[in-house]
Amino acid sequence: MIEWLVWTGLAAATLRVAAPLLLASLGETIAERGGLLNLGVQGAMLVGAFSGFMGAYFSGSLWIGLVSAMIGGILATLLFGILVINLDLDQVVSGLAINLLASGLTLYFTRLLFTGGVSPYLGDLFGPLMIPVLCEIPVLGEVLFSQTGFVYFGLISVPLIHILLTKTTFGLRLRSIGEDPVIASYLGINVAKMRYAALIAEGILAGLAGGMLTISMFNTFDPRIVAARGFVAVSIVILGRWNPWGALGGSLLFGFTEALSLRIGILFPDLSGASMNQLFALLPYLVALVALVVGGRGVRGPASLGKRMGRER
Amino acid sequence: MVPGLLTVSKNTKRSIVKAFFSVALTLAVTSAVFLINNINPVVAFIYMFQGAFGDINLLSETLIRMTPILIVSLGLAVSFRCKIWNIGAEGQLYIGAMFGTIVAIGIGGGPLSLLAALFVGAIGGLLWAAGPALMKVKLGINEVITTFLMNFVGIYLVQWMISYPFRSPDTYFPESAAIPSTSALAVILPGTRLHLGVALALMLVPAVYFILERTTFGYKVKVVGENPEAARYGGMEIGKVIFVSLVFSGLLAGLAGITEVLGIQFRVRGSLSPGYGYTGIVVALMGNNNPWGVALASLFLAAIMNGSSTLAWMMNIPMGIVDLMQGLLFIFVLASEPLVRFLERRGVLKL
Repeated sequence: MIEWLVWTGLAAATLRVAAPLLLASLGETIAERGGLLNLGVQGAMLVGAFSGFMGAYFSGSLWIGLVSAMIGGILATLLFGILVINLDLDQVVSGLAINLLASGLTLYFTRLLFTGGVSPYLGDLFGPLMIPVLCEIPVLGEVLFSQTGFVYFGLISVPLIHILLTKTTFGLRLRSIGEDPVIASYLGINVAKMRYAALIAEGILAGLAGGMLTISMFNTFDPRIVAARGFVAVSIVILGRWNPWGALGGSLLFGFTEALSLRIGILFPDLSGASMNQLFALLPYLVALVALVVGGRGVRGPASLGKRMGRER
Repeated sequence: MVPGLLTVSKNTKRSIVKAFFSVALTLAVTSAVFLINNINPVVAFIYMFQGAFGDINLLSETLIRMTPILIVSLGLAVSFRCKIWNIGAEGQLYIGAMFGTIVAIGIGGGPLSLLAALFVGAIGGLLWAAGPALMKVKLGINEVITTFLMNFVGIYLVQWMISYPFRSPDTYFPESAAIPSTSALAVILPGTRLHLGVALALMLVPAVYFILERTTFGYKVKVVGENPEAARYGGMEIGKVIFVSLVFSGLLAGLAGITEVLGIQFRVRGSLSPGYGYTGIVVALMGNNNPWGVALASLFLAAIMNGSSTLAWMMNIPMGIVDLMQGLLFIFVLASEPLVRFLERRGVLKL
């Protein structure tokens, strides 16, 4: 019986831990479909986590935290946009620059604002939203219908973004830019405007992904809170073949690994003991690498992904 | 007078102007941050300068700080020239430090122990880069993602090793045992902590310059980075060049890690590196992937790091200012390229 509860808990935790990865990888999917390889998604998540926490902490309202998380994420992706769209700089390096600037900014201001550089805890957090009736279903209710709003939002976004990318004019145009921005611009598509729109969408999703870490999961801010989630999200986009459903699959895989690595001691008492803690902690990253080896070989993304426009040369 | 020694190429001039703009813009934005906090930026920068170069002790501490940054970024400069973005130097550094420390302790002191530790440390970093290098060359998987993920695998692995199998029995915190004192890099300036590692790092500057500018490998690195199509038509084995340049940067990252242990820290701790692997990225780009430029850039970053501790102490400015300045510098190093191009087009700047 206890074992059963542990497995149900593991399934629920998988979804919970997968949610930030799902939101970020959906955002990255949109940007990459438009030809922008934004490694700065990691930095956008960090800024979202930071601004979400600060917004909630200083206003006392989680909803203001939510909005400021989105704004923070958008600011980070817009800065990326300036570097790669307006200045036509290398996408990979610009993404890394965003990440380093994000960690510098958040570290400095955390240390400036809080004595000892340690953020306090929020009084309140976005807890689980029980869906009436459905949450009473055994097992399924706990796993699927007793999650936070962030999880539901992520799950609902999957089909919506799929429709956006495949069934709308916006999606069609964005994908044609992703294949060849020069030809797209000959066809009268405003490449810069479309790419900025994609980056704003990514900023919202990445900001929420980061914000949910501080205002819904951990309840506090630490400059290392995002860990490698942004880069894992970029891996998920590759594994998911630049497709929202694929992003869902990949996020669940990594969510499961992370949830499992936190519970190995409970599920397999033979392996338990603190002496293995750090080894469990590295498991999700190892799984990400193995998954890339198995599922990432020879896959082809949008043709213009990561390439400069090269107007000036 | 050696001809050509004083004639500076247009490319070099551009890099100098770009570096100047990036530093100026970084200092300008940092000043704005200081002003918001009611701090006089001029006074702050003077304290920073004094903290980095104020006396012989402070200067040698800055050179000590420069050592791991310089070694790491020389390696990164090679891979970046090839347009291979190794952002896993942090993990490679930790693995190198751990491997080398185990060997130094295992052999138990003496010059052989020192040399073996340096060698094995470098090999550790190389091996940690070899996985992503193989994935890049054989499977075409973006090295940026794999090298970054390997950081987490490597650092958690080292944390586990210093917490259990290689933990020092006589300390409370997780850390490795100390290396034998006879394995340490000798102090070269009595009265300070300045150690032989600084000389090693400085000797690597002309060595890497030679590799890049005077060897076939260096030539291939440049061609693969600038024009892969030409490299392919020219019959170069692109995969091999990419593989070697990536593991070479791992090799130097590992060497940086073990040098830090043998020269200054004497054991592996969780706090061995405050992100030298990431600082190296900014330094390599700021130095335009040229070893001499990288040397100056690493001195600059080391000065900011050490100067900021004086700043923290004198003016109560948090140490995070280093990370903030580093991030700003990265953005402005990138933005200086289009800025210089713009100024040239307008005729404001003639190079």
